[in-house]
Amino acid sequence: MKVSFFETGRYPVPADIPREWPVPSGAYDPAVGAKAYQGMVERARFVQKLGFDWISLSEHHYSPRILTPSPPLSAAHLASHVEGIKIALLGPIVPVSNPIRVAEELAMLDTMLPGRFVFGLLRGTTNEYLSYDLNPKEARERTDEGMELILKAWSEPQPFGWQGRYFQYRTVSIWPRPQEQSQRPTYALGVSAEAADFAARHRLGLGVSYGNVELMAKSTGYYRQRCTEYGWEPGPDDIIWRANMILGETDEAADAALERRSAQSQAPFPIGARLRSALIEQDKRNVGGEKRPANVGGILPISFCGGPDRVIKQIKEAREKIGVGVLDLSLADPGGGDTDAMMSKIELFGKTVLPRIREI
Amino acid sequence: MAEAASSPPPNGATPREGNVEADGFRIRYREAGEGTPLVHLHGAGGLRWSPAHDLLARHFRVIAFEMPGFGDSPENTQTRTMAEYAATMTRAADALRLDKFNLWGTSFGGKTALWLAAQAPERVLALVLESPAAIRPENFAIPAGTPEEMARRLYGHPERLKSIPVADPAIRAKTQPLVNRLLAPPRDAELEARMATMETPTLVLFGTLDHVIPPEMGRHYKALMPNCHLVLVYDAGHVIGAERPEAFSEVVEDFLERHEAFLISRTETLIHP
Repeated sequence: MKVSFFETGRYPVPADIPREWPVPSGAYDPAVGAKAYQGMVERARFVQKLGFDWISLSEHHYSPRILTPSPPLSAAHLASHVEGIKIALLGPIVPVSNPIRVAEELAMLDTMLPGRFVFGLLRGTTNEYLSYDLNPKEARERTDEGMELILKAWSEPQPFGWQGRYFQYRTVSIWPRPQEQSQRPTYALGVSAEAADFAARHRLGLGVSYGNVELMAKSTGYYRQRCTEYGWEPGPDDIIWRANMILGETDEAADAALERRSAQSQAPFPIGARLRSALIEQDKRNVGGEKRPANVGGILPISFCGGPDRVIKQIKEAREKIGVGVLDLSLADPGGGDTDAMMSKIELFGKTVLPRIREI
Repeated sequence: MAEAASSPPPNGATPREGNVEADGFRIRYREAGEGTPLVHLHGAGGLRWSPAHDLLARHFRVIAFEMPGFGDSPENTQTRTMAEYAATMTRAADALRLDKFNLWGTSFGGKTALWLAAQAPERVLALVLESPAAIRPENFAIPAGTPEEMARRLYGHPERLKSIPVADPAIRAKTQPLVNRLLAPPRDAELEARMATMETPTLVLFGTLDHVIPPEMGRHYKALMPNCHLVLVYDAGHVIGAERPEAFSEVVEDFLERHEAFLISRTETLIHP
């Protein structure tokens, strides 16, 4: 089992900051922001030393909860300060992006430091459609087309035009180009049937996130079935699961922490209730083809909870049922909490769990 | 199922029909629109008037020939090579007194169109090759099978189409030897040598879901021909003009009007003046 640490650019949030998304940017403190970005580097060095395989990044906007609106810039920042550890961009939100720009920026990273980066392409969480004025009804199709175009821009050796539904370019011919697909781990991200279909058709990995083992297994089961239909079999490294973990010195300590967290009903910086309802109504989601409502601003589930022994048992179960070979972990909720306490959990994980899950 | 050709053009005009004589063949054609002529040479399935013809007929005089041996015409055992076939079609254009014209070839007709442009470059203003079959992979096979199997090979999303024309088995049996004879071999060295010196502005289009000829074949045209542009039509199969007619006709019309300058965007992005 490979392990990745989900880095969120932790910005220490003052108690008096407005709590509704979008958070007024006037409340932003540049000195604190600079320190948060320095913290990213320190954590990357720390998890690398502990033996983590990857550090992962995401794209979120307009709040201090996750301070990384540009995955390629976040990745370049980390790569220029930390050697060795792989950096996973999970990933650019395709439907709100210029796909050619995404293709070029990821190709630049892959050229600057071949083999250091892992690329994931995704539709994104529902609330992010508000950031760049994306119509939720177009999100799915824009994602599918954008991902197709990115792969084509990476692979087509001759200049070509693209006559799409949502994207049109009269000529495309990117420089630099990335390495061959076999040398450049690439994933479609999402639990939907569409993400799994796309990944299977293009021989890409699949990254799923949050939810319980049964739901994730439904999504990856569908993915593996589609891969078989396309004539190939994914390996463990082809499946990433981004998940939350509460790790304690003992099961009792972890359970108590879970109980405290369960009292929360919303993630930090939620969207207003009426807007949230309107968004959920307009967004269509599914897990492996089965309809599911979108999670907009709700707390994300805890997938692993316990002391080291129990957590290792849960990881074994995940390996068996989901087929996951890369765990992308959060050991504390972004946007709140005590970073020092989180660091001690990371250390506990690195010393008591990580060495014992290598062979899983 | 009804053929797409039975639906009236969006501008309300019904294509006119006529016949011309060339090389001893009686050649049927359908025609609509006014302006600079745009001659269309169909694929191995024969002449089918598609929504793309209607859209292009708003800006061009579209003339779609039914090439000798297809449709209700007698079996064509006379034509031995694609070069001969192209010469016959040039004479069909002569019979309509078309001096200079734009030329659009689909799949099998794409190879005919290339030969025609190679033989009479002074006549062809610009060339549009829709899923052309002039360069094919070694394992290429002409679509065959049940109507459902044919539909899955020809279209990216057959389930989205209101109607799919079904090939008449008797016509298919009649045209198959002609198609096999004129298409072979997968790479035509003589034609490719001519393509390398062809100055005609050329637009090659492939659907990203083409299951007949892989869209990757498009790059060979781009690499070979000095004045060639390649466009990939997202989510379309082999019959692009039927499956994504608006996307197809928009870029074709722009290219025929502006040639290389079609690369310069005219899309306006101003939201509120």
